[in-house]
Amino acid sequence: MRRKRTKMSLTTRRSINGYLFIMPWLIGFVVFYLRSLIMSVQFSLSNLTVNPGGGYTLEFVGLQNFIYAFRVHGSFKQILTTSVGNMLIDVPLITFFSLFMAILLNKKFPGRTLVRAIFFLPVILNSGAIQDAMDLARAMMSGGISNASAEIAEAASGSGVSIDYYIQMFSVLGLPDVIIEYVSGAVGRISEIINASGVQIVIFIAALQSIPGSMYEVAKIEGATGYETFWKVTFPMVMPHIITNVVYTVVDSFADSEVVELAYDVAFTQNNYGLSSVFSLVSTIVTCLILVLVCRFIQKRTFYYN
Amino acid sequence: MAKTASYKKKYRFFKPREKKLNRSMAGNTLLFVIMAICGFFMALPLVMIVNNCLKPLDELYQFPPKILVRNPTLENFTDLFTIMNDSWVPFSRYILNTIIITGFGTVGHVILASLAAYPLAKHEFPGKKLLFNMVVLSMMFSWTVTQIPNYMIISWLGINNNYLALILPACSYGMGLYLMKQFMEQLPTSLMESARLDGASEFQIFWKIVMPNVKPAWLTLAIFQFQQMWGNTGSMFLRDEQLKPMQFALQQISAGGTARAGAAAAVTFVIAAVPIIFFLLCQSNVLETMTTSGMKE
Repeated sequence: MRRKRTKMSLTTRRSINGYLFIMPWLIGFVVFYLRSLIMSVQFSLSNLTVNPGGGYTLEFVGLQNFIYAFRVHGSFKQILTTSVGNMLIDVPLITFFSLFMAILLNKKFPGRTLVRAIFFLPVILNSGAIQDAMDLARAMMSGGISNASAEIAEAASGSGVSIDYYIQMFSVLGLPDVIIEYVSGAVGRISEIINASGVQIVIFIAALQSIPGSMYEVAKIEGATGYETFWKVTFPMVMPHIITNVVYTVVDSFADSEVVELAYDVAFTQNNYGLSSVFSLVSTIVTCLILVLVCRFIQKRTFYYN
Repeated sequence: MAKTASYKKKYRFFKPREKKLNRSMAGNTLLFVIMAICGFFMALPLVMIVNNCLKPLDELYQFPPKILVRNPTLENFTDLFTIMNDSWVPFSRYILNTIIITGFGTVGHVILASLAAYPLAKHEFPGKKLLFNMVVLSMMFSWTVTQIPNYMIISWLGINNNYLALILPACSYGMGLYLMKQFMEQLPTSLMESARLDGASEFQIFWKIVMPNVKPAWLTLAIFQFQQMWGNTGSMFLRDEQLKPMQFALQQISAGGTARAGAAAAVTFVIAAVPIIFFLLCQSNVLETMTTSGMKE
């Protein structure tokens, strides 16, 4: 990539080349995604009324929707903070769990592809049609139409471990409340975390496979232990993909968070498109801010191969 | 890294027979146990799906439920075929629709995203940073909420009630671009430089050098995209019955309630099996690519 500044024609030719590569994707992106983003901003600043004959009219109201969301709306602020809080618990756990699993699944053992598929299952089973069918199966298993057996099943599933006892024990030991809350929050969400890390595991596996094998050979020749090899070779090489996975996890955990549900509800049951756009805009901005901070933090420590 | 590079030069002719690094037996066993426990619980839904689709109707309703099937039958599948044959639109039509939507959506997205990611990762041009930030911003935005603008854009383009309404937006989603860019950035620039010196055009570099080297990345992307497109019922944009994908028809069957429980179990199996097979195919094709092969420092 060493280019001489004096040869402008070459630089321009290269940038034109670059644009040519991007163009097919960019057209689609601008038409479908950028446009609907801009329309959402427009909606958030206006009062939208659907015309009976089809179409809609926009009436510009300025920041009134934003003021309503923060000052008047009962639950928005609270839901936003819980969603962001859950995300902050989930993201580091999912990232590290999936890195750990990816390293295990990257080893050579018989049936490795099958085991990988098992860890990808939650993503596959997440589709709407499967969920419907599974709900039906569950309903049948717990006794079909009658509710009594469902209640039995519910009662049986009550946990035998009293979490409060442990929380109290740890707080007596003098651990800070923040840590106890974080750990108990994390333990309570173990199944969610495992279920949400299917995609991340696969990304990390691809990242691990992109590490040239010669690096491990060199490490071995130099007499590095497995521990050293992990911290000096594997970890720096997958570092850029930790950012990828953090971004993916944030996107994924926000896609079905309570804020989005609220925005969806407001739009489609209360028909208040302006307010709904405000909700999604505010949550987008908040996530973006968090993401920028996190990425700055990681990027400083990232090692790039080139 | 400079240190390792010089050592590499020195020991270039020395090839260890295996790449396995030293780890104690106890550690291996512990890891295996952890993985087995995690894997067991994650595999349970799949075991249930497979067993359910082989259960006769009376076993499906059994309480307390048994996970494993006692008298396996293929009754559920024959049921499913009868329902399929009764449908108003021939079932092969639904399958064709799914193949078109999933195939074009997956291939299109992988190719367009990789094409766009290549200059973003390896070239310098004005507006690059802005473009990339925009991509990330667009991913943060929840698309469940923008259904209304989306619908208006689709109608404005006049591709409502058309396969294109599902394929085109899928092709230009930001996630694939982001993923491919992260992987392409890891490639050694000198590889591309040497190709350029040998007179390769930019497209040749992209197709013959970059893409084979990031094979794990695009196979991974193909897995996600396939899964996304496969799960699409298309109920929002496709109104004509003969344009709807298989997912929609199958969802209708399982929405039939308790009367069609057997067929619904078979449906679940079919819907889950195809992405799993695709996943297995892609993953077993992901071989270790040697980024530095063909390079001498």
